[in-house]
Amino acid sequence: MTAIENRLADSFDAVLHLLDRQIVDADGKMAGNVDDLELADLGEGIEITALLTGASAFLHRIGGRVGERLVRGYGELQPAEPNRTRPWRIPLDKVQYVDSAVHLGVDRDGVLELGPERLRLGDLAGMRMTGERGKVIDARFEPVDGRFLLRALVVGRGGPGSYLGYERRDDQGPWVVAKLIRAWHRHTRVIDVSEVSIDWSAGEVNPRQENR
Amino acid sequence: MKKYLQVALGILTAIGGFVDIGDLVTNAQVGARFGLSLVWATLLGTVGICVFAEMSGRVAAVSGRATFDLVRERLGPRFGLTNLVASMLVTFLTFIAEIGGVALSLELVASVQEVLIAPLIALLVWLVLWRAKFNIIENAFGLMGLALIVFAVALWQLGPDWGGLVHQAATLAKPHDELWSTYAYYAVALFGAAMTPYEVFFFSSGGVEERWTDEDIGVMRANVFIGFPLGALLSVSIAGVAWVLLGPLGVSVDDLGQVGLPIAVALGKIGVAVAIVGFVAATFGAACETGLSVGYSISQYIGAQWGKYVRPPQAMFFHVVVALATLVAAGVLVTGVDPIMVTELSVVFSAVALPLTYFPILVVANDPDYMGEHTNGRVANGLGVVTLVFVLIAAVAAIPLLIWTGMGR
Repeated sequence: MTAIENRLADSFDAVLHLLDRQIVDADGKMAGNVDDLELADLGEGIEITALLTGASAFLHRIGGRVGERLVRGYGELQPAEPNRTRPWRIPLDKVQYVDSAVHLGVDRDGVLELGPERLRLGDLAGMRMTGERGKVIDARFEPVDGRFLLRALVVGRGGPGSYLGYERRDDQGPWVVAKLIRAWHRHTRVIDVSEVSIDWSAGEVNPRQENR
Repeated sequence: MKKYLQVALGILTAIGGFVDIGDLVTNAQVGARFGLSLVWATLLGTVGICVFAEMSGRVAAVSGRATFDLVRERLGPRFGLTNLVASMLVTFLTFIAEIGGVALSLELVASVQEVLIAPLIALLVWLVLWRAKFNIIENAFGLMGLALIVFAVALWQLGPDWGGLVHQAATLAKPHDELWSTYAYYAVALFGAAMTPYEVFFFSSGGVEERWTDEDIGVMRANVFIGFPLGALLSVSIAGVAWVLLGPLGVSVDDLGQVGLPIAVALGKIGVAVAIVGFVAATFGAACETGLSVGYSISQYIGAQWGKYVRPPQAMFFHVVVALATLVAAGVLVTGVDPIMVTELSVVFSAVALPLTYFPILVVANDPDYMGEHTNGRVANGLGVVTLVFVLIAAVAAIPLLIWTGMGR
């Protein structure tokens, strides 16, 4: 058994396996952190379109009213600069593979670009799940012909220990820690994306009518 | 042959680099008041730092990720940030203490007030961090730090009642004129001094600097499991000589001169000269390590390029953080704050901050995604969980004990 060689070769949980990872360029130089992921519905459901990085994306990740205020404040530091509150993006086709870091196939110099405002994984993670005592803690994507499509949501109580990985795999020790964290997160479950509809403006996930 | 030399060099550096201002001051203070009755706390701290450093070194070697990469990946940006701020406050406090420690050591020679020397030392530290190669920073001061072996020589020269010392250490015999509360407070301080968080930030980032791979795990383990315990023996010698000489006099240690006093009695002027070389090397080396650790950790959290393995223009953010930290540290020291007091606070708050980075490393060292076949085995996890328990106890007890005992007075 070796450490993971390319996370993107198989389905993965985007928050656990991609978010907050180091971005490294073709030369091994560090180019920022994956502060958020850009998502969009391009006809086949929601898919990942770009990595988001930089101050604006990071401050938005802090979340809630504080996060919003911080992003606004960051823009106000330099009002003359256009699009300052827009996040910098790295299109997904520049990513070569993902192990413990996200490896780009290009040099870091000038790799960032601005694009239209789209959806963000950081907003999806943390959404309330209507009719359940839980929230979205992660999103599972599957590679299909070089694109990464949203297949399922991981729903649980959230809070401390959601991103340590214990409730997603059962061969991770130490025993005592694994036991405690699994007990705390025992209601975590995976819901297929076809069973829900995501209301981005209200920040909640609703079960589809036919499943009620 | 070259490989053996490398292992030997690594071990010697680990011994000389183990002791810093926190160990010097805390061990002398504890030695003078409690003798070797608290040696168990140093022992626990040493086991703890071995376990912690081995795990973080192994994670760095296999996955190429250093401490604060992992903290953010496992705890998310918000809790990760709280974690970063707390850990950096403690590391910065230690940074101030180390620079102050170099200044205090030189004050012993030059009789120029430490407040006047400190800014100069800060400038020197910054120059070294900007210009010098990583392996020079790591090896030169570690090797010079071996001069602290004079403390072991002095203990032997003083010819103490060995049976009595061993008895005191083995029975945890608290001297009758001390309270249990201060005894507990100094246990936490010794634990924090041996297990200062920056050591691990530096150790894991250093592994990435030196491009360790899983083939380097063996050498890394030799350094940790042989070097650190031998370094801890120097700590115990410092406590030992303080007890033998200062204990009966009822002297409480509140400057660096008193730490070296037993050497003067046992070995005379030459001994003192060697000890001062040791003080300067240990504190200057640790000042470099803490300064780098501040830059490493903040850069790792935001994902900016860090490290001495690239030229400074390629890691500008990192070097700006290091320069600012050094400038502010110098600013704090010129206010005339007592570096010994800063040291005392830094070791106690080290104990408070430890779980914040210890726990995520323990988790990642078990994660096959990062580690493949190099995940923790039974021994590493057994020791890892035991250490976690002690780390948590020390962290919870530290601040109440600090307040209750009025910093151990």
